[in-house]
Amino acid sequence: LRLISTTTAVQRKNVGASGPEKYTEAFIKKQIEEFNLGKRHLANMMGEDPETFTQEDIDRAIAYLFPSGLFDKKARPIMKHPTEIFPEQRKIQWGEDGRPFHFLFYTGKQSYYSLMHETYEKLLNVLKYQDQLSAQDLPLQKEKRNLAGSRWLTKIELEEMLLEKLSDDDYLRFIQLLQKLMSLPCADIEQKHIQKFSREVPVQMQKVVIEPLQYDERGVAFSTGEGKRKTARATAVVYDNGTGKMTVNGIDILHYFPVLQDREQLLFPFQFLDRIGKHDTVCTVSGGGRSAQAGAIRLASAKALRSFVTEKEVEFMRQAGLLTVDPRVKERKKPGQEGARRKFTWKKR
Amino acid sequence: LDHGFGLPTAAKECLSSVASQDVPTPERPRGIFHTSESDPAKHTEQHEGRHYDIPLEEVKAVFPHGLPYRFQQQIQTFNEARVMVRKPALELFSYLRSSNFAHPAVRYVIYGERGTGKTMILCHVVHYCSRQGWLVLHIPDAHLWVKNCKELLQSTYNKDRLDQPLQASAWLKNFKTSNERFLRELKTQKKYVWGKRECTEEGRPLGEVVDQGLARVRMASDAVGVVLKEIKQQSQRGSFQLLVAVDGVNALWGRTTLRKEDKSPVSPEELTLVHNLRKMVMNNWSGGAIVTTLSQTGSLFKPSSAYLPQELLGKEGFDALDPFVPIPVPNYSPREFESCYGYYLERKWLQHEQARTEDGKAELRFLSGSNPRQLDRLAGPL
Repeated sequence: LRLISTTTAVQRKNVGASGPEKYTEAFIKKQIEEFNLGKRHLANMMGEDPETFTQEDIDRAIAYLFPSGLFDKKARPIMKHPTEIFPEQRKIQWGEDGRPFHFLFYTGKQSYYSLMHETYEKLLNVLKYQDQLSAQDLPLQKEKRNLAGSRWLTKIELEEMLLEKLSDDDYLRFIQLLQKLMSLPCADIEQKHIQKFSREVPVQMQKVVIEPLQYDERGVAFSTGEGKRKTARATAVVYDNGTGKMTVNGIDILHYFPVLQDREQLLFPFQFLDRIGKHDTVCTVSGGGRSAQAGAIRLASAKALRSFVTEKEVEFMRQAGLLTVDPRVKERKKPGQEGARRKFTWKKR
Repeated sequence: LDHGFGLPTAAKECLSSVASQDVPTPERPRGIFHTSESDPAKHTEQHEGRHYDIPLEEVKAVFPHGLPYRFQQQIQTFNEARVMVRKPALELFSYLRSSNFAHPAVRYVIYGERGTGKTMILCHVVHYCSRQGWLVLHIPDAHLWVKNCKELLQSTYNKDRLDQPLQASAWLKNFKTSNERFLRELKTQKKYVWGKRECTEEGRPLGEVVDQGLARVRMASDAVGVVLKEIKQQSQRGSFQLLVAVDGVNALWGRTTLRKEDKSPVSPEELTLVHNLRKMVMNNWSGGAIVTTLSQTGSLFKPSSAYLPQELLGKEGFDALDPFVPIPVPNYSPREFESCYGYYLERKWLQHEQARTEDGKAELRFLSGSNPRQLDRLAGPL
């Protein structure tokens, strides 16, 4: 274990230069003990078994005991393991005699440069292995590695890993080195090292279950969808073999939405899929205003149309933004201002 | 036949019947949606959904004041007047042809939602009757007589009533242009005294009464009353047929926005013009027909979703007009929509490239809801 926080004398001197507060090991240990105790207390309070009380249970209990209406999830009360709360920090890198432990300490970015050295060493290894194979006239391995599903670490992730700041240039050089390593045919031997720096790209959004078509008494296929926008909530039932008529709350759209803009919104999902005159729709909507209701019905009918359409087209719809709930809501009015953003008229005197 | 635009399925059916149809005029190849039959009398179900031309001189003669404003603009833009033949109009023609003129006049009320083409159908009927040689009494919009009147004079004939010289003289002028022939032939039955010095003798042509009304604007409303009375009496004899075409007939029984000098509201009976018109719309005369339209657009104090006769006429009007033949006018049928779209396309009114595709057509159909007025407004900026 390396020596950590020094005497208070040193701390007082380096108050300006030390940067963010350094936590001692003892402090962290105490926090962990407190957390565990608190976890057991919480489990007792909620009437559950302290032994099998998971983090999810803790979150639920806290949300129940301290309900908060704040929009920012990170601002709400949380109770997590101290390692998640207190950021990882560099422990002090030099011994009692002032001599640094790492040989690259005086470069300033010791972990970065040591990483570069390591990676280059691996590269040289691979080249040597390649030479050996070609000397023995063995075929070089050429397995196609799947590069499509992976990405390199981002700069921020790399900084977190190395616990020191990097510049864009440094990051680029590192990525270029990795790419060079990957491009060599015999890079498989160093795969373990490379995998530390690559992440999987999630191929698709979470698998949303597309409901199958339902059939009503007449034998016509139909499907339902729900949508919302601002304060409006809408449900749409889309029937097959139709003539393109749409009814909202029992009223024809021409009468319910006299404004062209609203009708264009309703038209959008059908027009996107080239199915304008093919489906009949019956919708119910409540709440919100004219525009919000139109947006809600649009979302609802797009969701309902998913059942009629291939997966590829569903993906197209998602990319077109037809299936996303519009998160914009009315912003809260703040005290000291006239509205959410508008300030009172400024008078010079 | 010009097949420039894709043939819709509705048109394919009528293609077989088109072969036996009139060959379009060789000057300009027209689309499938046009007929060269410019006489409404010959319009039959085969012509349904098609447009026909009215020569511009006839337009000036027959419709000095009848056409809707937007249609007049369209005539100016396209330099031709094209009216679509629709089913309610054909229905009316068959009724008019089979009506017995010895019986009291039958009343027809054209009703429908906003912008479905009631006024255009009325104009179609007016054109038909004027071609047939009827005397046409066309009141373009009865709502104009019950609102926005600048001058109200107390009537000299009857102390209780109020005159509207401006509206009356405007109407008389237009009436004169449309029915010149009749005004020369018809003679007055009685002697009418206009003032201390002017009077019209018995047996003078009606044109003189009209001129009197135009010259003496104060007497215009009374002149209108005289003309209406004379025409009513004489049509019973059977020398000519009379068509009373009133647009916006629900104005006659609603409320007015006019006020007397002491700020008390005026009810429609107190207006001379309205009073005389009500007498015309009664079915106590024979030798003609009364075709009226209900209009919500200009109506006063009525909700915009009202379009049924019961709602727009009110109890009084409904009782007064009862019995009548209701003629509903729906939005465009698919075939009519194709026809209208084809017309706009042919006249290069739709400039947007996407408007010319099938998808564009479907979009227009959805957005306008097959409503003629909406389609017209939508196609405007395109």
